[in-house]
Amino acid sequence: MADLQDDEDIPLSAGGASAHAEEGAEGKSEELRPGASAPAPVPASEERARALLAEHPVADGHSGLAWVLSRLTWYDLELGDTALQTDLPRLREGAVGAMFWSLRLPQEYEGNRAVSATLALIDLAETVVRDHPEGLRLAHTASHTVDARAHGRIACLLGPAAAAAIDDCLGTLRALQRLGVRSLTLTGTRWAGEQGLSRFGEEVVREMNRLGVLADLSGSSTATVKHTLAVSRAPVIFSRSAAHALNPHPDNVPDDLLAALRANSGLCLVPCAAEQTGPALRDVADHLDHVRRVAGPECVGISGMYDTESTLADGLHDTSRYPQLIAELLDRGWPDADVSLLTWGNVQRVLRDADFTAKAAQIRRAPSTATLARLDGDG
Amino acid sequence: MARMPATDHLEEARATLAEYPVADGHNDLPWALREKVRYDLDRLDIAADQTGRLHTDLARLRSGGVGAQFWSVYVRTDLTGDAAVSATLEQIDCVQQLLDRHPAELRRALTAADMEAARAEGRIASLMGAEGGHSINNSLATLRALHTLGVRYMTLTHNDNIAWADSATDEPGVGGLSPFGHEVVREMNRVGMLVDLSHVAATTMRAALDTSTAPVIFSHSSSRAVCDHPRNIPDDVLERLPGNGGVAMATFVPKFVLQAAVDWTAAADDNMRAHGFHHLDTTPEAMKVHEAFEASHPRPVATAATVADHLDHMREVAGVDHIGIGGDYDGTAFTPDGLDDVSGYPNLIAELLSRGWSRADLAKLTWRNAVRVLGAAEDVARDVGARRGPSVATLDQLDG
Repeated sequence: MADLQDDEDIPLSAGGASAHAEEGAEGKSEELRPGASAPAPVPASEERARALLAEHPVADGHSGLAWVLSRLTWYDLELGDTALQTDLPRLREGAVGAMFWSLRLPQEYEGNRAVSATLALIDLAETVVRDHPEGLRLAHTASHTVDARAHGRIACLLGPAAAAAIDDCLGTLRALQRLGVRSLTLTGTRWAGEQGLSRFGEEVVREMNRLGVLADLSGSSTATVKHTLAVSRAPVIFSRSAAHALNPHPDNVPDDLLAALRANSGLCLVPCAAEQTGPALRDVADHLDHVRRVAGPECVGISGMYDTESTLADGLHDTSRYPQLIAELLDRGWPDADVSLLTWGNVQRVLRDADFTAKAAQIRRAPSTATLARLDGDG
Repeated sequence: MARMPATDHLEEARATLAEYPVADGHNDLPWALREKVRYDLDRLDIAADQTGRLHTDLARLRSGGVGAQFWSVYVRTDLTGDAAVSATLEQIDCVQQLLDRHPAELRRALTAADMEAARAEGRIASLMGAEGGHSINNSLATLRALHTLGVRYMTLTHNDNIAWADSATDEPGVGGLSPFGHEVVREMNRVGMLVDLSHVAATTMRAALDTSTAPVIFSHSSSRAVCDHPRNIPDDVLERLPGNGGVAMATFVPKFVLQAAVDWTAAADDNMRAHGFHHLDTTPEAMKVHEAFEASHPRPVATAATVADHLDHMREVAGVDHIGIGGDYDGTAFTPDGLDDVSGYPNLIAELLSRGWSRADLAKLTWRNAVRVLGAAEDVARDVGARRGPSVATLDQLDG
């Protein structure tokens, strides 16, 4: 896989050498790395980053792999594939322990093909995971995620899906949840738009709470964000949002909402996407700093945005580069405990909270039979 | 009930069903719940007596000796594209809710072993069948999603042609199955979903039998030789079932099984059209026209004996190992006398006993053939699944 690694400006981890080291993922990797093949000394902070990541791997909040693979006729995730930013060698190198497979659709699919297209992406994800049993494992719950990690597999969670994928039907939402969908992005429908949630939209959020499906608010209108935070009994997530205070990108979150997210115990997953954070690795780190400061260390996470249309920040060009990002944070004085929350702990907690909320809600509430027409009228 | 044939056999019928209950191929309760109460199951609770409102409730399933039910997750064919898929997912969700609400009576069943386990526990094995290829919107991924969600058969069409298969009640289209249609059948074999040939054109029946390596079913179709209606099965197709291992489940719908009812329905439909209505129109004005017709032309009445005539013939042509029962309750407005609702199966069994059917034959008819066919589909899936990955074929690729 060494030849698949681009040389970069960042002092390197020497991808080829450390590939062997990832096998155990037990934090002993440094000793296994043959010094002879490492061309430059690895900075101490990166050594520490790798040690931390071995214990607390990255749970990546947003991978575009499903859509990209649906457009490729041939690929090799097992040995590595230059057409992709994600493959098993580089996931291992990057210490990825879990990833959310985004089920986002191109705009033109929303409206008349969203359900079928979403089912196709779920089917593809299932097939890919089944074809890579040594590397990947499907996970529907926090416990599945832990199990996958205990078996040295990367946990693959499904979501976020487009809100259009439920076709304005709570029964369809429940079917998607049974197929493993864990989050839904609340935008682009009659019931979750610029004006916030309609009455049916509120009911969708309550039903998502009952099912343990996370509300993803990246790209949602401010009104929808506030409305969802008011309705949701479970933590919400921003699956790919940076700090609006540093870069006023429409998908980034302003400070007042980051503060509200802290109160909700939700999670803002900062994307390694240049257009949202800035072109350099340190820009991504700036956003992580900011979100950690404003939302709190319990409410920040990372979204790789690999294999999406996003331009990646320099030095974070594929899924192998998380150790470099973590090294930067350590250099900035992040305590180990906060790093472990950032990479793994927060995603686990949010999944677990959502599962717990769902169990409690199921005791109180039967599956909702509300319809869009009944709650919002036919208008 | 107009007549009670063979009441003297009723006790023996109940005893037979106690051992080998009915595994019925088709019940439209989910669609009835959608139409009547939009899935608000508190408002139409099958734990209560729903006589007069539904053909189906838990008590009548019990008294009818039902031990397994394929619940149809049918959606209307005027729903197309995503709308059909989404509505099918809602229908599946409805069945799931029924299972969640009535765990003591209904048991989720995905396999033949689940069916036997349900029988051993005295619960009703609940399976799902999709009714029409429109439910997968030309996508094999969606077919697999339905299978993952528990659907164990798919009728290839409903009353209208689809892009890759012809319906019995539509004009000839692709003439059987298109290349993609054949691929759908192969993929159903691979995942272990039974190919259901009720509703399809005879050309499509033959094409599917040519391709399927697993036994097929007819979830609710009777014999065309006994009553000439396109929804029924021609003898040449019935004759192929022993070779295929499949099961033809006779339906009770009077307008398919009784020639007089077939003719009456055609005349009633003509009358509707003559008055400017679609023949399926149920608006009050249309119903008024229909009721006037019915007042002057009494509706012919089928009985358990009518259905037994079909089963006699089907047993003779296909063999006793290849027949079953698919009542189509809550999917049809009218039912035969004596088979008025799901409590009526013992009357049919009594009629067959009076005609000399053995207990062993009845066990196959009601239960054993249905279990065998699902188990065989599982075996084929295991075998094919080891050789073939999920098909990524598309309609555009194969049919141009």
